[in-house]
Amino acid sequence: MRFVKRLDELSGNPKARRSWTYLAVFFFVVVILIPSVFVLTKMLTDWDLVSEVLDDSDAVAIIEGAAWNSFSIAFIVTMIDIVVGLPMAWILVRRQFKARRYLDALMDVPLAFPTAVLGISVVIFWGVPSEGVTIPGLGLVVSPYLMIVLLHIIFTYPYMVRSLSAILEQIDTNYETAAMTLGASRWTAVRTITLPLFRAGLATGFILCFARSLSETGGTYIALTMMGKQSTFFTGPTYIGYLKDIGSADDAMGAMILVSVVMIVVALILLILVRRLIAKLKIPMKKIWPEFGRRISRGLLPKAKDGIAYAFLFIMVLLPSFYIFMYLTQPIPSLDYGTLFSSIGISFLIAGAAVVIDILFGIPVAMQIARHKNSKLSRILDELVNVPLIIPTTALGFSLALFWGSIGQASELAIVLVILGHVAFTYPLVVRNITGAIEEVDPAYEEVAMTLGAKPFQAFRKILLPIVKSSVFAGGILAFTRSLGETGATISISDSVNAVPIYITELVGRGDYADAAMCSIILIIICFILTMAVRHLTRGGDDGA
Amino acid sequence: MPEIRLEGLCKTFGDTVAADGLSLDIADGEYVCILGPTGAGKTTCMRMICGLTRPDSGRVYFDGEDITDKDIDLRETTMLSQTYALFPNMNVYGNVKFAPTIKEWPEESSKQIVKSMLHMVHLEKKAEWKVGELSGGQQQRIALARALASGSKVLLLDEPLRALDARLRIDLRKELRAMAKGMNLTCIHVTHDQDEALEMADRIAVIRHGRIIQSGTPMEVFQDPATPFVANFVGRSNMITGKVVNSDGVTTDIEAAGGKVFKARASDLQAGEEAVLAIKVGSTKISHLSGEGQEMFCSGRVERMLYEGATITVELAVDGLGLISAKLPNRKYEDYRPGDEVAVHWMPSKASVFRIPEGGLEKELRLDRWER
Repeated sequence: MRFVKRLDELSGNPKARRSWTYLAVFFFVVVILIPSVFVLTKMLTDWDLVSEVLDDSDAVAIIEGAAWNSFSIAFIVTMIDIVVGLPMAWILVRRQFKARRYLDALMDVPLAFPTAVLGISVVIFWGVPSEGVTIPGLGLVVSPYLMIVLLHIIFTYPYMVRSLSAILEQIDTNYETAAMTLGASRWTAVRTITLPLFRAGLATGFILCFARSLSETGGTYIALTMMGKQSTFFTGPTYIGYLKDIGSADDAMGAMILVSVVMIVVALILLILVRRLIAKLKIPMKKIWPEFGRRISRGLLPKAKDGIAYAFLFIMVLLPSFYIFMYLTQPIPSLDYGTLFSSIGISFLIAGAAVVIDILFGIPVAMQIARHKNSKLSRILDELVNVPLIIPTTALGFSLALFWGSIGQASELAIVLVILGHVAFTYPLVVRNITGAIEEVDPAYEEVAMTLGAKPFQAFRKILLPIVKSSVFAGGILAFTRSLGETGATISISDSVNAVPIYITELVGRGDYADAAMCSIILIIICFILTMAVRHLTRGGDDGA
Repeated sequence: MPEIRLEGLCKTFGDTVAADGLSLDIADGEYVCILGPTGAGKTTCMRMICGLTRPDSGRVYFDGEDITDKDIDLRETTMLSQTYALFPNMNVYGNVKFAPTIKEWPEESSKQIVKSMLHMVHLEKKAEWKVGELSGGQQQRIALARALASGSKVLLLDEPLRALDARLRIDLRKELRAMAKGMNLTCIHVTHDQDEALEMADRIAVIRHGRIIQSGTPMEVFQDPATPFVANFVGRSNMITGKVVNSDGVTTDIEAAGGKVFKARASDLQAGEEAVLAIKVGSTKISHLSGEGQEMFCSGRVERMLYEGATITVELAVDGLGLISAKLPNRKYEDYRPGDEVAVHWMPSKASVFRIPEGGLEKELRLDRWER
């Protein structure tokens, strides 16, 4: 308590407050931002390695192909998400029905599953059974490309629906109602009034989905392995993973640098482009087709639209996710529980440490962005915070390993580096969540508290923090599950840290599908209990206050 | 016991000037209303007093002590925000007890204070309620109780009645003032509602463009406005522009368009100067034309009659001058009807007269935000 009191006193000093903000900003820039893009400088210093690769036309072709696969898949997946996510967001926000709460909860399920698990589940559901798979699937013979699209839709879809519904919730229905009382049909009202207001949500959703798909390594790699295509079909991240697996360090180094740089640069350009373009995107307004609008606003069409939205959610997203539970019908294999639980322990350690660091260093940055909107620093931070989000985690991890490796010997500190890596890609999630929550809180609360005699830090911990508590936890849970499911970053930072998705990937690599599935189920159950417990705890806190 | 002195406060936010050499003295225990249109710098003025905003230049003194750089929490100036800002993470009791807890007063006396404050605002039965369950008026009272429980001797009220229903707003004026007076607080109440200011204040400070343009008792500000803007903002006025034809120390006479001469109180204006005369609509008298010898400045034709409850407003069209309004008791409603020709008159001592403001009268009277 003494310590807290010291902080209270200290917070009265504007210099101390500013130093704390600057420290957090410094942490963000030095520990997250610079290491994330360090590989760019590596390309310049180790140009020999890179130019060797560039001379090798086969290698270049593979890299081009991998990058093309990554970006085109991410684009297709995002487009599908927009088309099917929009009606679903509408249902979640505008419709009143009893089961809405459950629908809402179901939406987040794919986020709680480690992608490695989803990889197994999806291939088994859609695909031709691989050798050793005892569960019947739909048996469709699909190309690896299509399979990965199907897989990526599952874990990007929730992001899209969430981003769109967050904006939709803020759009007053009065606009639409006003348009309709002025004679517009519902469809015309939505198209001309509501959709144009949607752009911000569309941009966020686009960036989140695109980045998520671009980054994903574990599930993609597993899916390809199960299809036997892991050494012939690549995406950017799986290619880095593949090189790490097979290549002797030096041969692969040039190629890894090149892929990482390509992925990072193209991703960043896209981030900037999307932000600019979507802000300028004009939904055609000149022409109104009132008759057409009226016709499609009535009768079967709106119902069909909702029906398709539900069908998509269940058939394309939920069923393939849960399909892995079919393994519960099989005889339970004898698992190596020691390795499983130690790897789960490591994963929890990494995720937990990452979340704590995220929150500690994220709150001052979030406060700066939310409370000093017009300052230059805030605007720059607001943009930069997104950078680690859009960079493919495998490239990010590789870059991070290079950065810390170049500073000192890293191998003993492997676990610390992995934690820092996980901090990098989960930090934006936490900061975004907290920033959004703080923006919603009227600054008058803290101001009044201070005029009543509270020091700034007291006003923060007694008033603001309790108000935004649930968003802090939500951001924390999001970051935690994201970290728990991450494969690419962990692999590319260190081979020795055996986190649980890596263990599962290994099992799949060995063809022990049943073992991998059981481990996945155990992991899912543990995650589920954990999230429930956290939700319950945070809610209990509210009643007590 | 604080006596507050603001000296030449300046503050700009980007291109917006919120305070431009603002000076004001507030006596101990006084209830001062800072009255001004939206964007005049009212809230900034208040925030500089409690320390939420640091002035770019100028000083703030409490009892002669320069506290411009003092921390907010040590100033003992409590703000009552227009949204009340009752902390949603605490119940009513927790809110009122916030300041005693923060200041680490002994538990027993804290409890006593909270109890007596809740008693004073007649809400002791709601102590365990959540703040969301209270009505607007109750929230307002709890916010007041919370502010009073802090032991501060300066109370800053930022449009405290704005969010309430019209009727309740009027009822609470007296109550709020009485409580503040009862606790012997120095109060600074910011509002854009002139009725509220006239009814509640010991003294009104009219603010515009980040500067206090007049400060005085409600009667002084109402009857003897310092500028045409004040004349029109605090109680509506008819404005007549013209040239001074006589200024003899008894009246100031102005000749308006069409050669009509209007009389106002004595002033230092000289004959030949351009001037504007302001007469409150309530002091503008009208009567039916009765022939020779009638005292009148001009005649006008009744255009519209507005029934407002206790009063009526008669709008007259006067040739060459436009519209002139007169506010009369409602029993006069039957006396006039549109189309009637009537005489316009007032007591010269009720009318103010000013030099034509720089930039013209229209700009002077504008209520909207200041543009440089």
